[in-house]
Amino acid sequence: MSSRSRLASRAAIAVAAIVIAGCGNRPAASGQHLAATSAARPSLATVVGGAGGASWAIAELGGSSASHDNFWELFVRPAGAARWKLDTPPGVADNGGLVAADPGGRSLVTGFRPSQGLTFSPLAVTADDGASWSPGTPVSPGLANVPDALAAGPGGRLIALSLGGRAQLGTRPGAAWRTLTSEQALAAAPAGKACGLTGLTAAAFAADGSPLLAGACSHPGIAGIFALRGGSWQPTGPALPAAQAGRSVTVLGLATAGSRTTALLVAGTGPATSILAAWSTDGGSRWSLSPQYRAAAAALSVSFGTGGSAAIVLTGDHGVALAGPGNSWRPLPALPAGTAALAVGPAGRLDALAASGRRFSDWRLGPGSTAWSQAQVIHVAIPYGSSG
Amino acid sequence: MPGMRSGLNLDNPVLAAAFRSALLHQGFAALLIFAVLALAWAAIREWRLGGAGGNLGSPARGLVVAGREPAWRMVLRVGFGIIWIFDGLLQAQPAMVVGLPSRVIQPTAAASPPWVRQLVNWAGTSWSYHPVQSATAAVWIQVGIGCWLLAARRGQWSRLAGLVSLGWGLVVWVFGESFGGIFAPGLTWLFGAPGAAGFYCVAGALIALPQRYWRAPWLGRGVLAALGLFFTGMAVLQAWPGRGFWQGRLHDRPGTLTGMIQSMSHTPQPGFLAGWVRGFGSFTAAHGFAVNLFAVVALALIGTTLLISAARPAVPTGHRQLLLVRLAVIGAVLLCLADWVLVEDFGIFGGLGTDPNSMIPMALVLVAGYLAVVPAAVRAPAAKTAGAMTAADAVPGPQVPVTAGTSGEPQLEAAEPDTAEPDTAEPDTAEPAPPAGWSRAWRGRLSPRRLAGAFGAADARTVAAIWALGVTIIGAFPLAAAAASRSADPIIAQAIAGSAATLNFQAPPFRLTDQYGRPVSLAGLHGKVVLLTFLDPVCTSDCPLIAQEFREADQVLGGNARNVALVAIVANPLYRAVAYTRAFDRQEHLTGLPNWHYLTGTLPQLQRVWHAYGITAQLTPGGGMIGHNDVAYVIDASGRTRTELDFNPGPGTTSTKSSFAVELSDAAERAMRQS
Repeated sequence: MSSRSRLASRAAIAVAAIVIAGCGNRPAASGQHLAATSAARPSLATVVGGAGGASWAIAELGGSSASHDNFWELFVRPAGAARWKLDTPPGVADNGGLVAADPGGRSLVTGFRPSQGLTFSPLAVTADDGASWSPGTPVSPGLANVPDALAAGPGGRLIALSLGGRAQLGTRPGAAWRTLTSEQALAAAPAGKACGLTGLTAAAFAADGSPLLAGACSHPGIAGIFALRGGSWQPTGPALPAAQAGRSVTVLGLATAGSRTTALLVAGTGPATSILAAWSTDGGSRWSLSPQYRAAAAALSVSFGTGGSAAIVLTGDHGVALAGPGNSWRPLPALPAGTAALAVGPAGRLDALAASGRRFSDWRLGPGSTAWSQAQVIHVAIPYGSSG
Repeated sequence: MPGMRSGLNLDNPVLAAAFRSALLHQGFAALLIFAVLALAWAAIREWRLGGAGGNLGSPARGLVVAGREPAWRMVLRVGFGIIWIFDGLLQAQPAMVVGLPSRVIQPTAAASPPWVRQLVNWAGTSWSYHPVQSATAAVWIQVGIGCWLLAARRGQWSRLAGLVSLGWGLVVWVFGESFGGIFAPGLTWLFGAPGAAGFYCVAGALIALPQRYWRAPWLGRGVLAALGLFFTGMAVLQAWPGRGFWQGRLHDRPGTLTGMIQSMSHTPQPGFLAGWVRGFGSFTAAHGFAVNLFAVVALALIGTTLLISAARPAVPTGHRQLLLVRLAVIGAVLLCLADWVLVEDFGIFGGLGTDPNSMIPMALVLVAGYLAVVPAAVRAPAAKTAGAMTAADAVPGPQVPVTAGTSGEPQLEAAEPDTAEPDTAEPDTAEPAPPAGWSRAWRGRLSPRRLAGAFGAADARTVAAIWALGVTIIGAFPLAAAAASRSADPIIAQAIAGSAATLNFQAPPFRLTDQYGRPVSLAGLHGKVVLLTFLDPVCTSDCPLIAQEFREADQVLGGNARNVALVAIVANPLYRAVAYTRAFDRQEHLTGLPNWHYLTGTLPQLQRVWHAYGITAQLTPGGGMIGHNDVAYVIDASGRTRTELDFNPGPGTTSTKSSFAVELSDAAERAMRQS
């Protein structure tokens, strides 16, 4: 071999060595994580009802959800009562979560979200403040992972937001569900196109009984609330102030109590997040808006109370409450540890409902008070290991 | 990787007992083969000696071959033979039955790209479908290959052993080691790249080389050049920035190397060894840069030295020229041993060690490469001094013909004293051309008389090699049969839920409503085998799995399914409406199954049936699901209960579901025969 060819062969070997080295050269896993930047969606923990009837609280207790040891529990505070009691409907494992809709009076419709092998949502219905439960017509596919996935209207009518973005209507108790629309169909309709609908987040019935759906819009400055009128979906969301014109808006929650529909909206993301409430008493034709609340935090749970009141648990032990139309957002004292949801009571009374392990605690904040005081503790018999 | 998990405990007593039994059974088979071969060999030799006046005839092709085996080949053959046997014994750990897919294959593949994981998942799933057969097969295949390598020194039997070693090594490298992790990030020589089985393959390929290449001058140089290239590449990879090897600690976390060593120190092992590994881990944490610098420099030096030595125009003949390559090999072997102890932790401690990891095989290939490149003329004085040279070494023989134009070193080859075998001894070329036609020639070779003669003329090592082939086949044949089966072994179901109970009593009658609102009674199903279970339609875990197992049992039954009714009765006192049984059917894709009946009724009706069949369905407070028994009954065509199966489905992996389905379909077929 000549020195020249030897040199060439060595060069080739060196190149080959580098190529071989490069084949497996990718950074080793370093355990670094990217911070999530998407807007947080509120959990299923919430409080519903209270409009002259019982209040219902949903909170997650128990252990790890990965090992199916988390159990969602339903608590009821009957009308006029001061204390909560455990009232989780029996017969179904609720590791996937509970959602509830308040038809008024002493009734409640509760849906069990899918979990493990269960892909549809059984419903449990009570007409006596939870003293007894009976099965409703199951929702298939199962309920979506949003607190307002189930809405109750007059005459026993129900709306269910299902996984995959399907909205279904139950016309009466025991009747089969029929499809109202789907996220894709609504996004393709003129109303959805105008908002750039990216997902459905809440359902309700308007005061006139027409179905309402709400979602997240990609087009800035538009609140995506739609009403089914005359066989087609019409945009009925409130017009937002100029300050929100450049921000995308998501409907966090939607509820109708009596003749008033209340919507909780979040505009923007990150430090520029603003929270607003909107009220309508005519099915969405006209809305009044609350002042915006600048929240550099994400909403963990939303709750509605009587008279258009609402409360939101924010990250970092923060919370805000709103007494109703014409009022401003009230920042609350630092929430008790583990607060899952806030209950807005009459006369401005607030309950912070904390859940941890087997323990459910009710902390109260009286009108004018600046500190939470513990009012009640419930120890729940968690059926650990029963869903494994 | 969904198919990998079986969800069973590593020490499951049912599987451990079955594994032990299978090992013993196949061990007896191996002994039997040995006895038959030994008897036949002795008998034929006796008969041929008696009948042919002491003439055993000429040895058959490949059975007996003249010529000495070069030292490099012996190192590989014996070394890897021992390693294969050792690996086979490691495979005999009872935990291997369940643990190999989930504890060995799956973690190894976790960091690899999706296509590798998909490929590996296929093998892991196959293993988890037939864990006992697979684990037993791995033992006997590896013990067989090891024995075969040790027994067959020369000739086609020996080459074939190399080829089989290469083939099985490839299987292990691809499926067991996910290509040695070469497609995964974090590849490093220190952790064993490119996988132990990769070196098994290299060794197998070298052993399988025809005898005419045994002393080819390019062989040793080629091996050293490849190793040099490999070490150089590994040095570059080790030095590459951003891979976490230059830091002992990174953001208050152990660096890549420190983390690996620390994890190894936590594995169960002798105290002194744990102390060494812990100490080295602490040292690496404190001096990560220096440790990596040492590794990079050492790898680069070894690699470049081997490359330079291999690229020289002639093999070094003098001690001075030899010194460089010898130092490189000694350095490489020492580095391998240090890594084996301090980083790889001997490769077998803690968890399920399947082999001693890559450093020992790598060292063997290094030594073999050195022996192949260094002429015996240089080695011989040392060997003679040590008194290691045998009389056979000194036997002169004809030169191996080496074409000067291709090798450039004819004089070196001629100087080797151990090139004893004449070219005519090479079995590949020694056989005369067949007299007429290929098939006729092979018919002649395979005639019983010829085979018997060849067998009788074979030496004891060849007989041992034939036995080792038999041992390998004992492992390979059941493995191939298991892999061809699409259904899992029912022993998995038995390992989870216990064995079926045989019964013989009249099944309690029932009359309920099916998912379409039609009345269905047990009496109405007379003439069909009824597979009966109790399912909660809103259950989140066991019931959907049991339903899937029933559906799969229907598929396993094939044409027999038309004589079988699959019946489930609601086991929930609250959620028992037809709307729920229908929702359950849709969920489990049972709506199109004509022989599927999901029955419900009023609470008193259901309670009567539950009581008759020993079912309890209890409400659990606090958001729990209904507690009820997981059981299946097999009722024959005349209405008699024949079998009760505990149907707790366990983790619901693909293998457990398939296993329960097979167990159920087997019970149904038994009931058909009993009807």
